[in-house]
Amino acid sequence: MQNGQDSSAERVPGFDTVLIANRGEVALRILRACKDLGLKTVMVCSQADRQASYGTLADTFLCIGPASAGKSYLNRDAILLAARLTGAGAVHPGYGFLSENAAFSEAVEDAGMVFIGPTAQSIATMGDKIAAKSAMIAAGVPCVPGPDSALPDDRTAVEAIASKIGYPVIVKAAGGGGGRGMRVVPDAGVLHESVSVTREEARQAFGSPALYMEKFLQHPRHIEIQVLCDVHGNAVWLGHRDCSMQRRHQKVIEEAPAPGIAPDVIGPVAEACVRACLQIGYRGVGTFEFLYEDGGFYFIEMNTRLQVEHPVTEMTSGIDIVQAQIKAAQGIPLDVAQAAVTVDGHAFECRINAEDPTTFLASAGTVTALTLPSGPGIRVDTHVHAGYRVSPYYDSLIGKLIVHAPSRAEAIVMMRTALAGTEIEGISTNLPLLRMLFNDEGFAAGGTDIHYLEKWLKRRSAS
Amino acid sequence: MSRVNFGDPAVIASLAAALEAAGVDGIEIEQDARKVRIVIERGILGAVPQVDASQHSSAATHAISVAAPTAGLFCSAHPASVAPPLELPREVVPGEMLGFIRVGPILLPVKASGTGILMRSLAGDGSLVGYGEPLFEIEPCP
Repeated sequence: MQNGQDSSAERVPGFDTVLIANRGEVALRILRACKDLGLKTVMVCSQADRQASYGTLADTFLCIGPASAGKSYLNRDAILLAARLTGAGAVHPGYGFLSENAAFSEAVEDAGMVFIGPTAQSIATMGDKIAAKSAMIAAGVPCVPGPDSALPDDRTAVEAIASKIGYPVIVKAAGGGGGRGMRVVPDAGVLHESVSVTREEARQAFGSPALYMEKFLQHPRHIEIQVLCDVHGNAVWLGHRDCSMQRRHQKVIEEAPAPGIAPDVIGPVAEACVRACLQIGYRGVGTFEFLYEDGGFYFIEMNTRLQVEHPVTEMTSGIDIVQAQIKAAQGIPLDVAQAAVTVDGHAFECRINAEDPTTFLASAGTVTALTLPSGPGIRVDTHVHAGYRVSPYYDSLIGKLIVHAPSRAEAIVMMRTALAGTEIEGISTNLPLLRMLFNDEGFAAGGTDIHYLEKWLKRRSAS
Repeated sequence: MSRVNFGDPAVIASLAAALEAAGVDGIEIEQDARKVRIVIERGILGAVPQVDASQHSSAATHAISVAAPTAGLFCSAHPASVAPPLELPREVVPGEMLGFIRVGPILLPVKASGTGILMRSLAGDGSLVGYGEPLFEIEPCP
């Protein structure tokens, strides 16, 4: 635990009721953490989720709008109204939806409630790729080679920047994310066309034409570092994860710790992340995402929220990250020092999606039968049960299968068994794909890069 | 001539209804040292007195459910009303006021949009109701 200045502790009011502004498995995960902390819960829902049985576990379950997320889970005013009607003292945004919306964080706090997450300013800083990169460089966090400022309009200046970085480079929208608003430039011949097209896309998709340029890494892994901060100037990192198994920038399998990275290599990077948190006055949980290639770490972005894959770090650290996040929002000082943070064994998480395992088309419908694995080291986070209707309106994630074992090899065997013991009928899921991946030799060896799954799927299609 | 108190919530509600009906966007009134401004925000939850209660058909009973137009506290009658509660069942006509949803200082009317017999009130007075929650059942007249 590192101590900085206690600047904001006095501003944090207490609360005994938390409004959960989300749905599905994360809503249930937050509800359980609240109950364990003795807090009352208000869960809001859309009309499509009105019959969801997990809502009955909340002290209050309130429908706030139609099925369309824009009119319910993304409707700031409706959520704030529900909070006022129910006397909630805090709002937990979960992940997705409004979790990284600075204006929402601000609106919650302006209404006299606590936003269980960072301040609007922290969210805004980290949401702007250029500002985030500047903050990281200031804290000594390693970044991808490239200037920490927006690309100029002058063509000659752009050419000079690209030449200095060295091709291939990647052009990204400053306000983008999730793999959108970016373009790889393999050589100088297509530089200006690429910049021009990306700038227009950025203008249309994100409301700002600001771009920045970085070195394009060819075979990186996706490694991330989990941090936890209180409002008394204390911050720790809880370990690292490898989330390289991705399809179209969507993570499919995550694991902790990232295999094959020595502690003396990642340790200084993680310490720089903690320093960055203290410098920007960060509070709550957050994740620093990096590309890792040839022994070097390159900062991509910071997720200023709870991550889908937080359970693997919970398993290896023994720390309930959601509870810790809520306690930090309550103004309670961190009760763990950095020296006491341990990484025990190895954990995997499989995202179970309601989708066709070959075409990846979403599969809505009723789950007619459900068999879930259990036993030592096995955890299932899901809101789904037999008879549950998977809605076509939202993300296809219906559950997360997590295993924890003393070693990576043992965790792989455990996950194979757990996947074999998982049956979901009535809808299509990606379970067949997950089973194949856990029997893949390349994946079992560890250290696969972010392009591995896409190439693997192409090979499968070709055969 | 009697003097109108523009600070009276009932007066503001009447004025808002009149402005809405007349298609006027707003009004500002100065009285002594006080100023009252009423702005009509159509389609947005605000001082909008006119709310269409959505209706859903129940196949089992052929009754029509009158649903809450927003989350809020259900009021079976206007707080200022001294009239005794109406008994059920009773006949209702389109536009007839059945109750209100209280959202802070705002009362949103819940109205019948069809002719029929109001059979049941489904929400308790003062209870928290969600968006789309059935509040009344009306059996349509044949």
